[in-house]
Amino acid sequence: MAKTQTEQNVRQALSAAPFALECRGVRKLFPGVAALEGIDLGVRRGEIHALVGQNGAGKSTLVKVLTGVYQPTSGEILIEGRGAQLEGPAAAEAAGIVIVHQDQQLVGQFDVTRNIFLGREIVRGGLLDFGSMRRIAQTLLDRMGARFAVTALARDLSVAQRELVAIAAALLREPKVLILDEPTASLSNAEAETMFDIVRRLRSAGVTIIYISHYLDEVFDLADRITVLRDGRLVSTHAVAETTRQQVIDQMVGRSLSQLFPKENVALGEPMLVVKGLSYKKIVDNVSLTIRAGEILGVAGLLGAGRTELAMTLIGALRRSGGSVSLAGRPSAPSSPRAAKRQGFALIPEDRRHEGLITDLSMRENLSLAAIARFTRWGLLRLGVERAAANDLVERLRIIPPNLSTLTRNLSGGNQQKVVIGRWLLRDARVFIFDEPTTGVDVGSKVEIYKQMTAVARGGAAVLFISSDFEELIGMCDRIAVMRRGVVTATHAARDLDVQSLMSLATAADAQSSNRAFNVSQSAAAKDLGARSSLGAVLSRWGTIAGMALVFAAIGAMAPNFLSPANLLDVLKQGSLLAFVALGLTAVLVAGGFDMSAGAINQLASNLAAGAIAKGVGTAAALIVGVGAGLATGLFNAVLVLLFRMPPFIATLGSMFVAMGLTLLFNRGQALTLYDQPFFFGIGQGAVGSIPTISILLAVTLSALHVLFKHTSAGLRMYAVGENLAAAQLRGIDRRRAVLTSFLTGGAVLGLSGVVLASYSYGASATAVAFDFLISALAAAFLGTSLSRTGELDMVGTTVAALFLASLSNGLILLGVSNLALPGIQGGVLILSILIGVIGKRGIGQITIF
Amino acid sequence: MQATTDPHPLRRWLPLTEFLRAYGAIVGMAAVLLLVGVINPSFLSYGNVGNVLRQSTVLVILSFGLTIVLFLRGVDLSVAQIADVAALAAAALLIHHQPVWLAFVAPVVLGVLIGSLNGVMMAYLGVPAIIGSLGTMFIIRSGEMIYTKGNEPQILFTLPRSITENFLFLGQKTIGSIPALVILAIVVFCLAWGLSALTSFGRYARAVGSNVRASFLAGVDTRLVFAAGFVVSGLFAAIAGVAMASRTAIAVPRGAEPYLLDAFAACYLGTLASRNGTLSIPGTVVGALFVSFLSNGLTILGLGAPTRFALNGVFILLAMAVGALRRPA
Repeated sequence: MAKTQTEQNVRQALSAAPFALECRGVRKLFPGVAALEGIDLGVRRGEIHALVGQNGAGKSTLVKVLTGVYQPTSGEILIEGRGAQLEGPAAAEAAGIVIVHQDQQLVGQFDVTRNIFLGREIVRGGLLDFGSMRRIAQTLLDRMGARFAVTALARDLSVAQRELVAIAAALLREPKVLILDEPTASLSNAEAETMFDIVRRLRSAGVTIIYISHYLDEVFDLADRITVLRDGRLVSTHAVAETTRQQVIDQMVGRSLSQLFPKENVALGEPMLVVKGLSYKKIVDNVSLTIRAGEILGVAGLLGAGRTELAMTLIGALRRSGGSVSLAGRPSAPSSPRAAKRQGFALIPEDRRHEGLITDLSMRENLSLAAIARFTRWGLLRLGVERAAANDLVERLRIIPPNLSTLTRNLSGGNQQKVVIGRWLLRDARVFIFDEPTTGVDVGSKVEIYKQMTAVARGGAAVLFISSDFEELIGMCDRIAVMRRGVVTATHAARDLDVQSLMSLATAADAQSSNRAFNVSQSAAAKDLGARSSLGAVLSRWGTIAGMALVFAAIGAMAPNFLSPANLLDVLKQGSLLAFVALGLTAVLVAGGFDMSAGAINQLASNLAAGAIAKGVGTAAALIVGVGAGLATGLFNAVLVLLFRMPPFIATLGSMFVAMGLTLLFNRGQALTLYDQPFFFGIGQGAVGSIPTISILLAVTLSALHVLFKHTSAGLRMYAVGENLAAAQLRGIDRRRAVLTSFLTGGAVLGLSGVVLASYSYGASATAVAFDFLISALAAAFLGTSLSRTGELDMVGTTVAALFLASLSNGLILLGVSNLALPGIQGGVLILSILIGVIGKRGIGQITIF
Repeated sequence: MQATTDPHPLRRWLPLTEFLRAYGAIVGMAAVLLLVGVINPSFLSYGNVGNVLRQSTVLVILSFGLTIVLFLRGVDLSVAQIADVAALAAAALLIHHQPVWLAFVAPVVLGVLIGSLNGVMMAYLGVPAIIGSLGTMFIIRSGEMIYTKGNEPQILFTLPRSITENFLFLGQKTIGSIPALVILAIVVFCLAWGLSALTSFGRYARAVGSNVRASFLAGVDTRLVFAAGFVVSGLFAAIAGVAMASRTAIAVPRGAEPYLLDAFAACYLGTLASRNGTLSIPGTVVGALFVSFLSNGLTILGLGAPTRFALNGVFILLAMAVGALRRPA
């Protein structure tokens, strides 16, 4: 009671507060559509202002206008009473509007502190001030009542915890208005409760919040005022006390535009698909359904309710964690969509352009993709039969244009969807899963899609129809299951439902999960981290180092000479040479992508430096020439990647050729041997005391690189760009700058490595060994990643790995292994070091070349 | 209200740009080669052209395999090494008095085997193709060097004719007036083109290369298809290697290595020759022939390896730059 009283006081105080954000007559036109029409919205300082509306109501357009992604066609936006020009996301952020997207991207390999401060680093004396950043991060987390460590890696956090990190990062920017876009969409009930509490705390702390959610119950629980959007117009803004859930639903739905649904009454057969207790992690939670032959079962639910995951689990694209499924009486547990296809499943995926179509292929190729086996004899396509079947489909589905060679990328949304559906009509599928088949589809095509759905049902298939368009569900389905946060809460006959009642069911929060769950989640969050040290974790963290030590000990035991100081110093010298090249390569790999030209740059620089020395210009000049050549090549690569938008692999492959050609032009295929240059040779061959000069130089270079990459904001940003470009760009980080820095740093180090090589080998060799250097350096860089805590590229790791590879070679030769076997062993080490990282990820090794 | 202004002023230039887009690259390549011929007429002589055609066979066949892997959005840096090891194996078998059929078959089987290992590694274990095939390349290289105790070439031309005659027929004789090698290249071309255009594998490969996720959800065995690409590339590389040994009657360890970079150049130049700037088997033939003729021409003009390296690089970059321009922004 007391709580309600204070809340009311707060709300009364708010009703007098001035506007933090105001839209006046905001209009946004797209070709042919008015996405927003005369929006007059006022958000009061310190309130939680909910924004609700159906899909396509204009919420996301409005948010994009507010965050500077779109420019309004007309109208004005005022922030704290003053007109604001939001020319881009950066301008909006500067003006104080900060958004936290659902499933906000974080850099997985960064810890919480780095993620919060990325793009807003605290720098003291040119270096990152981790002490202050951690302290502030801790304060922000405390403010939200979060209990995970600021040093935890983002990838070890739960979805809910990641959202807290994203909100902390937003708070750091001291927003005048904080927009939370569907913050609970992918959270479990318990986690959502925690989130509500945090949102309330933020309001108490005076933060103005625009809260976007589909879940009306939580909106009514949380918000001070509610604005309803429909068809691009603002329908109403009410204080929660002045409105009711039913009224808001009526306003969201509006007049019922009765559409014609070509629903037929089909005699229902035996149960075709029987799902019992199907689960996928917590996202699909103990779902049971039965669909009979000829029946269309709707799944109503909002974004993030687990509907798509249910579909994916059924066809084996996600591995179920429990439950059983039977198809026409036979148990069904497909291990892949391919197995599911054979059993009779057909999936029309939610994301048509990325998961359904292969947009670079023609209509014909897309139509026959799932049924190629039918058109193949002895591995040869029967093109005539295929063409006839495809033409038949085009006619049946009325696909426009009726031209089989049209690339599907050029089709309209509706026709694209027809192609995806048509693909499955060539097979005798018995269960059709339609996942949001009509989003972004014109009305005519919608009817065509409904007709096909009816037709497959008439043919005796079971249809699972997932949609958040409740009108079409009611129009097309026999029964409708409501799914909420992974759970199917109720199944109703469609004729007993109208849009309002269905909306009401889908947007409700679960009554039984109230504050009880909140406490559970807090303690779970608290113990989630820190208790992760199992044997596997220890192995993956320390395994490589232990392996290296073991190899060292074994070689030492078999060849006692190996561990003699003289030999170790010799190995150190050889290893330093490789380490230089590997460091340069690593610098490029961090943000630039790939560098095939690393070895070639080293060769070019070494030849140019040797040539300069031969001309008698002295060591300093040779150093400038070598490093300059490296910088120039790095700049060239960066230009190719950034201006010509070439994939790094190709760009650097091309410049590898160019650098090799230049090297050969310069030395005319002759070795460049230097004599009597004691000072220059001192770099590669000299020693200070008993420590080789080259190794001292390496230590200096390594320290500089380590500081640059790990202790400056430029380094932090390069890592962010290399590891999660989307996350980096959300924080306003300029990719071009990071890539350029990466290539230039790498180029300079590679140039330096060439000078060192020239000095070490008393000149420059004529043979093109660019490729050999490349592989050793790659092996060192990737082996180095398995040494670091986060598995990221690391300067120290690279150096240790390079020294290890050199000592491995040396040790094996001491053991009498032929040096002919060394490249192979390095190749093997390279593959092994990569395997440590990729195993269990289950991807395929594709790379982007075009 | 803005309907009257042309949103794409560039459209007006379409006829010319369209022509250049479609045929510019081929015209350009022909012009370069003609220029060489004008400077030194012996370049276009019947004898020289025939000679270059024979020489180019190895590169053409090798590039087919690479094209198919690139199709799948993979890459195979071990193709040249596979060709090498196939050539060595063929030569070694003959030197050890094995039957000629074995000298043809065993290396090809070996190539398929290495390709399969590559396929398992990239498709099933998920090693990025660029790293995995680089590793394979170096492992094979070590194997070769150990077998040949350093770099001793396996020499066939000093063997009695009776042993080598049938093996060398492929590389050195003609059928009618057409060199057997050229016939081999045509046969392999038909195989490769047929594989990419007429088989279910070709169809799957295009799908997997364009969109793995959609292919996976449509029930395509994406791993198997990706792996098969490496098998095919191993197969073609091995055929190229045997052809090389047969043509030169000698197998030098690491002798095929320069072809790796040439093959990349051929594939990317091939994208210029195809109408919509995509990889294609016919395009690769054009690219490989151009690379072969150009390097021969440069040699005839007295320019050597450096220029070739540099030009290869320039041409790859040019191909990619033109490709970037072709794509609508």
